[in-house]
Amino acid sequence: MIHYRSILQRVALILSVLTVLCFDQGVFAQDGKALFQQNCASCHAVHKNLTGPALAGIEERVPDKKLLYDWIRNNQAVLATGNKYFTDLYAAWNKTAMNLFPNLTDEEIGAMITYINSVPAPGAATGTGEAGVQAAAAENDNSLIFGVLTLILAIIVLVLLQVNSNLKRLSDEKEGIPSYEPVPFYRNKAYIALFAVVLFIVGGYYTIQGAVGLGRSKDYQPEQPIYYSHKVHAGTNQINCLYCHSGAQEGKHANIPSLNTCMNCHMAINEYAGEKLYREDGTEVDGTAEIKKLYSYTGWDPDQKKYVNEPKPIEWVKIHNLPDHVYFNHAQHVKAGKVACQTCHGDIQNMGEVYQYSDLSMGWCINCHRETKVQFEDNKFYSIYEKFHNDLKSGKMDSVTVESIGGTECQKCHY
Amino acid sequence: MNKKSIIAVVFGAVAFSSCSDVKRTPGKIYMPDMAYSRAVETYNDNRELQAEGINYNAEPVAGTVARGEEVIYRMLKDTTGTYVTSAALTNPMTTKLTEEEYTETERLYLINCGICHGTKLDGNGPLYNDGKGPYPLAPKNLVSDEIKKMADGTIFHSITYGKNLMGSYASHLTPKQRWMMVQYIRMKQNGETPGAAATDSTAAAAPAGTATAMK
Repeated sequence: MIHYRSILQRVALILSVLTVLCFDQGVFAQDGKALFQQNCASCHAVHKNLTGPALAGIEERVPDKKLLYDWIRNNQAVLATGNKYFTDLYAAWNKTAMNLFPNLTDEEIGAMITYINSVPAPGAATGTGEAGVQAAAAENDNSLIFGVLTLILAIIVLVLLQVNSNLKRLSDEKEGIPSYEPVPFYRNKAYIALFAVVLFIVGGYYTIQGAVGLGRSKDYQPEQPIYYSHKVHAGTNQINCLYCHSGAQEGKHANIPSLNTCMNCHMAINEYAGEKLYREDGTEVDGTAEIKKLYSYTGWDPDQKKYVNEPKPIEWVKIHNLPDHVYFNHAQHVKAGKVACQTCHGDIQNMGEVYQYSDLSMGWCINCHRETKVQFEDNKFYSIYEKFHNDLKSGKMDSVTVESIGGTECQKCHY
Repeated sequence: MNKKSIIAVVFGAVAFSSCSDVKRTPGKIYMPDMAYSRAVETYNDNRELQAEGINYNAEPVAGTVARGEEVIYRMLKDTTGTYVTSAALTNPMTTKLTEEEYTETERLYLINCGICHGTKLDGNGPLYNDGKGPYPLAPKNLVSDEIKKMADGTIFHSITYGKNLMGSYASHLTPKQRWMMVQYIRMKQNGETPGAAATDSTAAAAPAGTATAMK
């Protein structure tokens, strides 16, 4: 019995080792993706020429497996042998040197190539956007239907009222009640008085609103030369506002980023594959075409991967405008005041096309200066206000507003 | 009875007119001279100035140095040469970042670098996101052995001029901020924080006294 048991144990051991080996191999093949991302992905993509060529179909292009593996491990050595295919390739890619990977084993390279072959070509993934289109269309339809319905109902009410008054007159005549000549409604004093009052209220409301709104451009949403979506950049992709508008922390203007800032990402990102975008009028935006517009301004050729034409500035339409007699400084608000961008610019990370969120009126400025509590702690900018610091410490005041440090003085902004 | 009809019509008209479309014009303005500055302001079109014969140059005069610029970096971008020789540059910031500098550099890192290289410096920022983001290439893992071995000067050169598909950050970070960033990356690689005095490890932090890039 003991004998059998030891044999059984041995067999079990061998079996388990074998399973582990097999299993290991299996994991290895799946690790092709991890290996690819670790070693290749910073220069190569599967279906796209980037720093290096696209790798899809690499086995068809280099059928000699040994040569391919040698190239991957030490491309310089292969180049030294004068291989024509690789010499041409090297020249075509502006002699960008590929890193050396001497430690990759045959299995590892094989696993990566298996992974490369398993990645499907882009363009198959569609269909998710359809529901969105229908939903958007339905939303538009609804408001139109409601409007038409309201109009039809209003007409019906008018007609019925007319019918009612006619019937009343007819029945009056029949019963012999003397009917006087009806006064047409436009000469009816009650109607005229009512009309005058309504006109006064409605007209007055619009006149005053118009006068107040003179020079204010709240909700101004111009069409820009490129459909640049803050929703895609700041929302979906979480790019910090200050990445592009770095001037907001440095000086008066939150600068419009220069083209090199766009190209930091768009050298590589040359197509849009996110969820569908719509302009305010409901037309669909072709994100890839908008990126092409950027290239037409920068002069970048995505195929050659270099700037081929003279750059020209994008003439963005300025939205937020303050009159000449107002001084506003971004850095003071962003850096010293630590005000979030969204406080004045609204839900910018969800805006497809940017509109002016605040009316930028003086009342709006003053109101905020009265209500906003200055962050006094850990803020060197306010260290000179000794009295306030002492009062805060002694509990005499619980917070300092912008007004109390002179934020509503005329000459703070008008000088 | 007709009163109601009039009220209905008026309300209908108001409701209809208030369904306005997107506001594509800025609206009426009184005293446009005041609203839109006649003086030259930021982002004024300067092509007209050029046409009028007024000298206007958007770029600084060659050879001038910005005020407050502590470090002048003279090594120019080229395809092969200076990338290699940049390794000889040493970081003028020879000491570790102070707590305050560290916080500021971390803030700058998260604004400018973290979007690709990740908040943990592991090369997996929101733009790449394990290949699910829009950026098609894997950004470099800044805490990998490859970058640990890379010279301070080469990192500085790469931030200044970009490398491969990374763009130049010279317009985003001053030279001093760039050197601070190099220090920040080193401290992150060694797992150091400004509070705890770190033991001197194998980091390539150059000892004080060697020639720096300062001229």
